[in-house]
Amino acid sequence: MPRLLRPAVVAALAAAAMALLGAAGESWRWPLPDWVPPPAVPADNPMSADKVLLGRHLFYDKRLSRDGSLACASCHEQARAFTDGKAVSQGVTGESGTRSAMSLANVAYLPVLTWQNPQLTALEVQALIPLFGEHPVEMGLAGREPQLFAMLQADPVYRALFARAFPDEARQGDAALYSLATLTRALASFQRTLLSFGSPYDRYRYGGQPEALSAAARRGEELFFGEKLECYHCHGGFNFTDNLKHARSAFAETGFHNTGLYNVDGRGAYPGSSPGIVEFTGEPRDAGRFRTPTLRNVAVTAPYMHDGSIATLPQVLREHYARAGRAVALGQGVNPLRSELIAGFQISEAEIADVVAFLESLTDEAFLRDPRLADPWPARTPAAR
Amino acid sequence: MNVPHRIPLAGLATATLLAACSTATPPAASSAGAQAVTLQFAAQVNGQAFACGQSYGGVGTTRSTITPSDYRFYVSEVQLIDASGRAVPVTLAQDGTWQRDGVALLDFENGSGPCRNGTAAMNSSVRGTVPAGRYTGLRFTVGVPFAANHGDPTTAPSPLNLTAMFWNWQGGYKFIKFDTATTGQPATTAAPHPQGGGNASGFSVHLGSTLCASPSRTQAPQAACGNPNRVTVQFDNFDVSTQTVVADIGRVLAGANVDVNAAGSSPGCMSFPKDADCPPVMGALGLAYDGVPAPGPQRMFSVR
Repeated sequence: MPRLLRPAVVAALAAAAMALLGAAGESWRWPLPDWVPPPAVPADNPMSADKVLLGRHLFYDKRLSRDGSLACASCHEQARAFTDGKAVSQGVTGESGTRSAMSLANVAYLPVLTWQNPQLTALEVQALIPLFGEHPVEMGLAGREPQLFAMLQADPVYRALFARAFPDEARQGDAALYSLATLTRALASFQRTLLSFGSPYDRYRYGGQPEALSAAARRGEELFFGEKLECYHCHGGFNFTDNLKHARSAFAETGFHNTGLYNVDGRGAYPGSSPGIVEFTGEPRDAGRFRTPTLRNVAVTAPYMHDGSIATLPQVLREHYARAGRAVALGQGVNPLRSELIAGFQISEAEIADVVAFLESLTDEAFLRDPRLADPWPARTPAAR
Repeated sequence: MNVPHRIPLAGLATATLLAACSTATPPAASSAGAQAVTLQFAAQVNGQAFACGQSYGGVGTTRSTITPSDYRFYVSEVQLIDASGRAVPVTLAQDGTWQRDGVALLDFENGSGPCRNGTAAMNSSVRGTVPAGRYTGLRFTVGVPFAANHGDPTTAPSPLNLTAMFWNWQGGYKFIKFDTATTGQPATTAAPHPQGGGNASGFSVHLGSTLCASPSRTQAPQAACGNPNRVTVQFDNFDVSTQTVVADIGRVLAGANVDVNAAGSSPGCMSFPKDADCPPVMGALGLAYDGVPAPGPQRMFSVR
């Protein structure tokens, strides 16, 4: 493949890209079932099909890393509900992070975005962390913005996509068009289309198909929403997390909890590599508190917990929640700062299987294969090198 | 109504007279014959103003010191009572945030400090209109009416779409959500109980309906719950233009030992039957519990 594509090829690629969208109009329509409220979108980054398409190309482009080895999608694989199957991910230098790549399913509904930073509330801002962060180095682009913008500017596919996505900036010239502002807005717009509401549970609950759930999953649902396991207090609402914001909610809800996974000092602390939101708030009571993740597609997002330290869902139930936190199993004693809802419970293996069957019913197979969310780059293009 | 003191009002334009009427809030933009009502609430703990990050002493039977982390409740069926004893419904303003149909959310937490898992916005009043008149009393219900209590919170409008205020379809909303750390339970120090409970990072008061018969926890009951647990509050002498309804959680906790949690039960009192932490709490709310009749009227709310 030549480094620069011939204009005819470019035109064909661009036309194909636009055809994916149908007629790109001014107004954006969310591909959502009627019962789901649309996401709230920042006023300075309204949705458009062109921005989504650009963002999708950026999301799957390995040239957005220092050595061309990592795209956003490298740690956020569609088939794994946009996680990577690893406990922690490695950046371009081989350095490992300390927290597990989070699912991006329904990320548009999250008022706070990451496990441990309550200040990261906008996808437009969050995108800068993996791209430019140095502690740890992920995609390793710190200080390399000129090279990044030059690459985008030189790529005929991007020239067409950027111009369509940001016509106002295009009129101001290349410096305005190829910028962190446009790049992060496009990435955010694409991520807001990672919508997952097509699971068997959705068909059972909202689709009028009671048979969509197995008897085991229905028994698991009773346990999940019951007062013995108390799961739903934090994993509640339509996105199965107590962190929720959408177009019809008056204000954002957030939830950070210590589940007793560790108790390294006997006073509730977690390992220093990921101490919880106390790292940002400085409040001792916030030790070990992490943002509640969604449970949608959880069956395909192993390993579990903020540091990927539990391999399977039965283990999460049996060795962590049933014992009032895994710190007990680690010999660290029960965590004194854990949520009042982490009380421990007696649960049979049959009940564990039922709860897991319920959690598996939250897997949206169509979402995991939706071609609209897949890699848009033809094989062997520079982006996919 | 041929009540003598109302006769001068008859047939006259109301605007100027309303200003002289002791029970009327100055009318805002409202339809002819209606007057605006703003019902003020204040949250307290044993007489002290409630605020996130504050601690309060002398709470409960052990005189514990508590540090609350949440304080919200729903009110509905707000009515003013006229001199003849007639209860006149207040039509709530539909503000898209705090009030919807006849339900309003009072929210005294600000999402900061120990209230981190709350919301930044707060609300301490109920706003609406009543037909112009002279009102001397107040009645309201703490809770969400049955017809609205078991809907789908994922599709409900604000303020009925807060995950924090919802149990499940079967149980409906938490009418009151109060959470606090206490001297005896500053953190979850108790050993885990094999059957659940037995620990708490404090003491919670979550009031809601129980014994709601439905095929599963995610289906709404068709008939009223066995324990509706809605609290009716009435003040025969209440001037809505000058007085405030005080919601003092210290009075709810007065008979409870907030430093312990009954083994095997939810932290504090979450309304479920057979929780030894509940009788003093439910009693203070004027509710029967586990077959024991209410010991008297509610003691949480008073007039200031």
